[in-house]
Amino acid sequence: MKNYWWKILCIILLLYTVIVGFTGKIPELNILEESIRNLYFHVPMWFSMITLMFVSMIYSLLYLNKSKIEYDIKASAFATVGFVFGILGITTGSIWARVTWGAWWVFQEVKLNAAAAALLVYAAYFILRGSFDDEEKKARFSAVYSVFAFVMFMVLIGVIPRVAGASLHPGNGGNPGFNSYDLDNSLRIVFYPAVIGWILLAVWIATLKVRTIKIFRKIHKLDIE
Amino acid sequence: MLLEWRQKTAVATIFIYVLGTTFLIYLVFQGNINIPTWIALFWIISLFTTVNAVSKSFMKDANEQFYYLRNIASPVEIILSKIIYNAVFITFLSLIIYAVMALFFNENVEDKKLFLLTVILGAIGFSNLFTLLSAITARTQNIVLLAILGFPIILPLLLLIVKMSGLADFSISQQDIYVNISAILLLDVITLVLSVILFPYIWRD
Repeated sequence: MKNYWWKILCIILLLYTVIVGFTGKIPELNILEESIRNLYFHVPMWFSMITLMFVSMIYSLLYLNKSKIEYDIKASAFATVGFVFGILGITTGSIWARVTWGAWWVFQEVKLNAAAAALLVYAAYFILRGSFDDEEKKARFSAVYSVFAFVMFMVLIGVIPRVAGASLHPGNGGNPGFNSYDLDNSLRIVFYPAVIGWILLAVWIATLKVRTIKIFRKIHKLDIE
Repeated sequence: MLLEWRQKTAVATIFIYVLGTTFLIYLVFQGNINIPTWIALFWIISLFTTVNAVSKSFMKDANEQFYYLRNIASPVEIILSKIIYNAVFITFLSLIIYAVMALFFNENVEDKKLFLLTVILGAIGFSNLFTLLSAITARTQNIVLLAILGFPIILPLLLLIVKMSGLADFSISQQDIYVNISAILLLDVITLVLSVILFPYIWRD
């Protein structure tokens, strides 16, 4: 119970998100209408990705300091799962864009392009990992790149949209944020649990990934410390 | 530390590369392009030339020179000297590209000082990023890796400098200029600090 309480919490929160998210009360808005329920899925995907990439960067820094291969395993596992959540985020976003903005991809939307670039940055991370034969070099160099990648990721999704000024997303470029729609807190009571639930799920999957890599390495008689 | 000047052939190669690319674009576009295209092409040529030029930065240092350099200088000195050299080189290249493009196409930039500032700041940013990345990719056998790693990472900077260059047709307001310049400066500083901090980890064998 001591170690897996958060997994139970994750299941409860996600069950709550799905059930209440699809059936609960929502503010009545033009254009958005029922698609506003995507708020419980699209936004938490990005939060999960940011969390996982942050953890990955921390492990990369730890690796650079301690040179333990275990940190590299964790860094790569968290980045992999974070990447998957990023793809989910961009897919759910694209579907939502089709419904509300009328197209799968909108050029004027700087966040879309920045998010796509961020995914490319991490795709390059995996290519980089694949191009080394030597274990130690691979770990060290990709750790360096990972730190770089995370900072640029933050710039892409944090700085660029603000400088660009024009965005179709709520809360940017003069658009009202979701707070102003959410007059009776009906979105908020699902949104916050959804964020926590999805982040927990992402971390859970990442820890499973770490375990499978470790098992794989054990079978092949590789170092796991 | 400016060993690279010795490689005159490499420098000449890059010049001919610039000339060839620009001429090719001139012919493909049949001699007339509008201002946004001009700016876009200018930075695309700059970017590709940079990748080509900087990718050689650590390639030559593969074996003997690597050990020699390691003995005579600290990693921080090496990365700084390489970054400075590359920044100057890229600025120089950008100006050549500018001259060649001005020769073939009409010259469109209204505010030359601001454009020069953008070129210099952009060159510093390019240099910070690509010098570190080329140090990483020099250790792999994968030649395209520098472009794969570099292009998405350079994107924020590229977007900003392309927007800055929009001053060529005054599509950018005075206040935007300050916001953009400070954002580019911020990026330059961030990338420089990261490069200097992270380089020692790459440098040890």
